[in-house]
Amino acid sequence: MEQGKDKSSDAVKVPIRRNLFIIGADGRPKLIVGRCRQCHLIFYPKEPVCPICIEVGTMETIEIDGKGKIISFTRVMRGLPGYDSPYTLACIELDAGPSLIAQLQDWQEVELKLHMPVELVIGRIKTEKNGNIIVGPKFKPLPI
Amino acid sequence: MSKVFVIGAGMSTFGPFPDSIVHELCHQATWEAITSSGVDARKLQVCYAGHAYQGPCFGQKTLVKSGLTGMPVFNVENACASGASAVMGVYIMIKTGLYDLGIALGGEKLTGADGGFLPIVMDDLDSTNGRVMPAAFAMIAKRHMEKYGTTTEQLAKVAVKNKKYACLNTRIAEKYHKPVTLEEVLQAPMIADPLTRLSCCPVSDGAAAVILASEKVARQYTSKPVEIVASVLNSGLRTKYGLIEYRSEMSARAAKEAYEMSGIGPEDINVCELHDPFTIAEIVHYEDLGFCEPGEGGLYIDEGKSEINGKGVAVSPSGGLLGRGHPLGATGVAQIAEIFWQLRGEAGAHQVVNAKVGLAHVVGGGVTSIESGACGVHILKV
Repeated sequence: MEQGKDKSSDAVKVPIRRNLFIIGADGRPKLIVGRCRQCHLIFYPKEPVCPICIEVGTMETIEIDGKGKIISFTRVMRGLPGYDSPYTLACIELDAGPSLIAQLQDWQEVELKLHMPVELVIGRIKTEKNGNIIVGPKFKPLPI
Repeated sequence: MSKVFVIGAGMSTFGPFPDSIVHELCHQATWEAITSSGVDARKLQVCYAGHAYQGPCFGQKTLVKSGLTGMPVFNVENACASGASAVMGVYIMIKTGLYDLGIALGGEKLTGADGGFLPIVMDDLDSTNGRVMPAAFAMIAKRHMEKYGTTTEQLAKVAVKNKKYACLNTRIAEKYHKPVTLEEVLQAPMIADPLTRLSCCPVSDGAAAVILASEKVARQYTSKPVEIVASVLNSGLRTKYGLIEYRSEMSARAAKEAYEMSGIGPEDINVCELHDPFTIAEIVHYEDLGFCEPGEGGLYIDEGKSEINGKGVAVSPSGGLLGRGHPLGATGVAQIAEIFWQLRGEAGAHQVVNAKVGLAHVVGGGVTSIESGACGVHILKV
């Protein structure tokens, strides 16, 4: 979880939301998603009801790899207080199906392009006023 | 079912007024709407009040200033479409025959919010991830540019047009009466590439109100009632990339429904107040509303079709959101007020000649996994 990169290593790291991601036994992060047993589609974040089938009890929880590609991105020059501006925000389509909006990590040295492959990392999203660091899914551009 | 007419409208000045009190801005708009309509304020039967961040009993806190107490008041929050939702609320009440006279109002005070951004509500995952609205629309712009070859110059032309018209609108603060050149828009400080500061709507406070009447009573008050021939509200679908699509499906769906409801087509629209918080939004919505084919939004602005008395639909002659800012709850009602004045020939320096049919469109509200929270489309006619 980006250990040692934070200015204050004592800072409390708080997940952006419960049950969104885990660190696997191999040390690699995985996304926690919902999969409908009926239509087999995958949804992130997981919701209680499959939005396609609209039936109760069809959603199961699975973990997926965070490989995907950039659908769009922008460099946010001045974000809200607590965010490390400038930061880069992207719309990511995961190879497993769902898409999501997330910040990129380690993007500064990369010439970003649409459709560039990315992989999931867990990193700092923002810092709260009390010093807590909100961590969650981010994506790192991969060499093409 | 009764026909529903707008018989009066009012608006505060829109601009940055950090010392203002939102209920006072709303009172100005309410009072102008009442006095201009000639309605005895005591005859108003119902109120819908649109706002996003102004707290409980927003409508009542406004109406008490105008001496209006006792009527049913519905306070409506629907993000950018709060005002349109309030108008539709009164419309339904009159359409169904429950009441003959009602007031829809909307207001918002945004100065003082976080650094010019909308207050972020941390119960939405995308928002917490840093998805501020300029960033979302920047990503939409990149997709539209990739798919259709739309250029940054075409985006910038929207700001040039709307800020030019804002200078003609006496209901916008002097501070926002600033024409800009293409170069100035392109070279302004970057907010989220490709959107510069002048590609984003400025921070504003403001309020607007309209008086709606049934066909039974409308002509008692005016010989020039403006009929609401379509009132549509919807919410976003789960799309592949959420908000980051190169079209607004919900805008297209709402417009289609409004065209069917009214028997009016996009080719019949003379004037449109369109949801343009960012330059790219206007180009995308030309296409969604059927003013041009998908992918031709950039050409539409290039050819000057959306100018006042251009060859297409005059879009946001008031200056739009880029000109007057976007105090959320106020915007949807302000659009109806603007169309009302346009169709009566009372818009002032930004009047569209011989406007007979107008369309108002708002859409917004970030919700993870779906396109947006709410979209409202109204069509008005004389």
